[in-house]
Amino acid sequence: MTQPSSLEKKEPLSVELTEVWKRFPGVVANAGVELSIQRGSIHALLGENGAGKSTLMNILAGVYRPDSGQLKLHGRSHQFRNPSDALSAGVGMVHQEFRLIPSFSVAENVVLGSAPSLIKTGQVEQRVAEMAAKFGLQIDPSQPLWQLSMGERQKVEILKVLWRDAQVLILDEPTTVLTPSEVDDLGEILRRMADDGRSIIFISHKLHEIAGICDHATVLRQGKTVANSLPVADTSQDELARLMVGASPTISTQQSAAVIGKPLLELKNLSAQGDRGMNAFSGINFDIKSGEIVGIAGVAGNGQRELADVIAGLRPSISGEIIMDGADITTKSPNHRFQSGLAYIPEDRLGVGLAPRLSITDNAILRVYRHQRKGPFILGQKALSYCADIIERFGVKATDVNGPIAALSGGNLQRLLVGRELDGKPSVVIASQPTRGLDVQGVKAIQELLINQRDSGAAVMMISEDLDELLAISDRLLVMEGGVLRGEFDPRSASRQEVGMAMLSDAQVRATP
Amino acid sequence: MRRIRLRLREHPLPGGQPVAFGIGLAIALFVGTLLLLGAGHDPLKIYSRMFDASLGGPDAWSITLNRAIPLGLAGLAVAVAGSMGLWNIGAEGQIIAGAIAASWVARIGGSWPGLLLILMMLVAAVAGGALLALGPAMARAKLGVNEIITTLMLNEVALRLVQWLIHGPWKDPDSFNFPLAPMLPDQARLPTLFGRAHFGLLIAAAVIIVISVAVRYTAWGYELRIAGSSEATARYSGISLPKKVLAVLVLSGAIAGLAGGVELTGTTDRLTESISNGFGFAGIIVAALALMRPSGVAAVAILFGAVQIGGQSIQTLGVSSSVSTILQAFILFGAIGAGVFSRYAIALEKDALRTTEEVQS
Amino acid sequence: MNEASLIGLLIATVSFGALLYLAALGELIAEKAGVLNLGVEGMMAIGAVTAFIAGVEFQNPWLALLIAMLSGALLASVHGLFTVGLGAEQVVSGLALTILGLGLAAYLGKDYVGLRPGAELVPVEWGPLSELPWVGPIFFSQAPVVYIALFAGIAASLVLSRTRLGLALRAAGESASSTDSAGHSVLGLRLSAVATGGALAGASGAYLTLSITPQWAEGLTAGRGWIAVALVIFGAWRPGRVGWGALLFGGTLALKTRLQTFGVDFSPIILSMLPYVLTLLILLIISVRARKRPSSAPAALGLAYRREER
Repeated sequence: MTQPSSLEKKEPLSVELTEVWKRFPGVVANAGVELSIQRGSIHALLGENGAGKSTLMNILAGVYRPDSGQLKLHGRSHQFRNPSDALSAGVGMVHQEFRLIPSFSVAENVVLGSAPSLIKTGQVEQRVAEMAAKFGLQIDPSQPLWQLSMGERQKVEILKVLWRDAQVLILDEPTTVLTPSEVDDLGEILRRMADDGRSIIFISHKLHEIAGICDHATVLRQGKTVANSLPVADTSQDELARLMVGASPTISTQQSAAVIGKPLLELKNLSAQGDRGMNAFSGINFDIKSGEIVGIAGVAGNGQRELADVIAGLRPSISGEIIMDGADITTKSPNHRFQSGLAYIPEDRLGVGLAPRLSITDNAILRVYRHQRKGPFILGQKALSYCADIIERFGVKATDVNGPIAALSGGNLQRLLVGRELDGKPSVVIASQPTRGLDVQGVKAIQELLINQRDSGAAVMMISEDLDELLAISDRLLVMEGGVLRGEFDPRSASRQEVGMAMLSDAQVRATP
Repeated sequence: MRRIRLRLREHPLPGGQPVAFGIGLAIALFVGTLLLLGAGHDPLKIYSRMFDASLGGPDAWSITLNRAIPLGLAGLAVAVAGSMGLWNIGAEGQIIAGAIAASWVARIGGSWPGLLLILMMLVAAVAGGALLALGPAMARAKLGVNEIITTLMLNEVALRLVQWLIHGPWKDPDSFNFPLAPMLPDQARLPTLFGRAHFGLLIAAAVIIVISVAVRYTAWGYELRIAGSSEATARYSGISLPKKVLAVLVLSGAIAGLAGGVELTGTTDRLTESISNGFGFAGIIVAALALMRPSGVAAVAILFGAVQIGGQSIQTLGVSSSVSTILQAFILFGAIGAGVFSRYAIALEKDALRTTEEVQS
Repeated sequence: MNEASLIGLLIATVSFGALLYLAALGELIAEKAGVLNLGVEGMMAIGAVTAFIAGVEFQNPWLALLIAMLSGALLASVHGLFTVGLGAEQVVSGLALTILGLGLAAYLGKDYVGLRPGAELVPVEWGPLSELPWVGPIFFSQAPVVYIALFAGIAASLVLSRTRLGLALRAAGESASSTDSAGHSVLGLRLSAVATGGALAGASGAYLTLSITPQWAEGLTAGRGWIAVALVIFGAWRPGRVGWGALLFGGTLALKTRLQTFGVDFSPIILSMLPYVLTLLILLIISVRARKRPSSAPAALGLAYRREER
């Protein structure tokens, strides 16, 4: 395992990033980040969403150029212009979204881009098999990729990087697509690679996995390194969680909760599958009452998006019931649910909630066109005045209501979408990441709209990755992790750290309200 | 390293499609000039003859409009499918199917009064075109089979079918062994409006208006456009996609079939091998130039009709009619190019760095 | 039906098969890289007319073949420029290419209609092999283009399955972004695949005017380009299977003109529907099977790629 630190010092670090700055319009993603990785070690890179991990890794992998800062590999300075530069210097990245070709064999996927000019299939497959065996990756190189599970596909991605002889491997949240036993496998594979003298950077949110797999951990917060190369064996998970989420106590800005009434939405033992055929979430039980906002906290990809889709009727459930205002709507159509008072603000605004090529007016009337018509015709004047009404009441800035909606800015798109959904005085509002990517004003406007809905008696479910936002506006906070509810908190009394722990580990945390 | 790439303009260049079309026309005329000069002709003389023959007076207009009828209907057929993001490449075959069905009615109803006969022929034409589109429509709606290839294959099948009919069972015994079907009964011919323009002009105009209004102003058309813009959004708002796909492709086939029926009763007066005359393929280009908007096909069809009629007229000057075919292709390529450059700018960029959208991910 | 006419039928089957195979191989290569080119008919026409003209002018069949291939590649590059370079709709651009090709061919060839050919690709004799009964006339005294088609098929099959280039080309047709991130130029791969496809369609056209019907007339290609498009689907995008399909479809072309001499009372026109009907059937079978495994069609076929849109 980890070598004594006195020995390590003699060898140059395999990766050394110093004072790395990277600004994007409106955001400083990296503000003088430091990162140092020893040869032959597995190094965890921790941080909340937006802490700057992805930016930093994209710099190391040659995707972005840093504004300033130094990058050294094995003691030598480098400046990468593109991912190929980084690869030839020995840095390879396994992205979260696989870049694989389903109809190709495993071996073909592995060698694409660095194949010999003449490919002798048997020989190539043999070499891939040998390489796989060396690191304990059990995989048949001749198998077509589409037959493989997500875990096996990840092994192919890792083999791709190894095939190019990368000495530094970056794995971006590799465990999100894996089953628990596959996670254990991955740990062993990574250890073999480290023992072979390679360095592995492991990005994850799951602290217990890091404890089992990694040697060192670097923690980023708000674009800065808050802890550099902590030895994982000597650091508690609590400590890591505290470093990630910060120790600042939350000041609840919560206005007094409105009158809480009867349950309007009840989920009973609800389960559904995700896009990849694995369970997205299972056994979800909770209700939302009239006059409350229930926040769903969690790191992206833990089943929240699928949960929202299932409630809205866009994804089938495999078991359980959805009760809305006393009526079972489990198998009802999306339109039926909307007509009975369910509003849905989807995460993918322009791809699901709006029709990008159509006009602003056409998009505004998506929920009401069935009623605003005479015979087969949609009433044009009524559509225009309806649209004008939404624009005015919800503060959408639009110059031409007949122009394509895609021309609007993100904030205005969302105001239109939210306005349209809330206009019908819904009794239940499902909002998935409603403020993501908006500017400060936009965030405030959308939050206020949701709070107003609650105050007028609606049941609101709000999914967000921004814990501070949820702590500020929810009346109750549920944490989702690995497709199950990991805890329930009262935002007025819960500490940020407590909630953060529930988001980041599998440990069952129950806070007493 | 610097590389040339296309970058999306924040604001598209003003003018939009008409300007792009104009640029396409200009490019086509320029290429045509080169071709004509190369063949030793005087381009000005040729172009003025083309203009005179197609747009130079009421008679010329009537001939051009007659040509615009099948072009416009075929273009409409393609555009209505295109509004939902579907490709009907089979208008060529559906035109034939419509003409065959109409001819069949004329064969059995030769003694019927004119109005009834023509009406039944057109109804049959609509049904014929719809029937040919039904297979691809069901395959697409139920099995997800790409409609491009199925409709394309059926073009060739329909073409062989009409060839078989007029070489065999439907061959006119008085045609001196030419592969021709008998002439239609006199009362089966559409009346003339003015010059040579026939009543089909009103039919085509009415259908184009009805469909344009339906797509633009009805709930049905609204759902069509939503589905054409984003399937996920259509599902989100509760629109049933398979039903819509089926309906739209069959409607598209029906319109193309009508084009065949109108062409038969209005222009050719008998079933021939070349009844579709490339109108189905030209219709795809008409629809593409109209950006798949049903309301835009009429204008483009008239312009294409003029180019085709003008092209025919210069044969008497010893110029190959292929010049007009080439002009049509260049109008399209020119307009595509102009369309792309109105939305994209050419940029010289230092290297392939990704941009800010990906900060979040 | 006597032996001579049966041999005649089989000779024509191989000959038409080669004609279709060349064009279909070209379309296969373009589609494997992700570009649907519905301009095959136009490219064949251009190949046919330029070969004929070059034959008349230079009296050299090989030079004529070369010029036809270059012309086909040049015309195909128009499609490549618009679809790959500018991201235009492949369907529209391909159909426009057919119209352009047919128009240009008619324009270029108008002074050559009915002329005697200046050069022909005459059948190759293989010595004693050509003397063999049945096999000799059917396989060993065909025009050189037949052997070129066979060679091209084997070469395409090997290049696609056994080389780095082929792997990259297929990758471009499956997932442009994966290919791009593996360090290959999607633009370059697709443009060259389209141009190669054009060259093969040009060669196919040249075979018509230099050997099969050594003459030029408008409409000479007679829809065979569409059969080539169908063949690619019929053969599930595999050079080998497309080859067998080409023989089958070539057989229907050969049989068409001979049905009456065989005394078969069946319309040759109905027979000529067969390739399209068979292709439609195959398409249905593929799509039903595709529920269990991925379709054999290149996944990115017809999709334009712009890196910024990723």
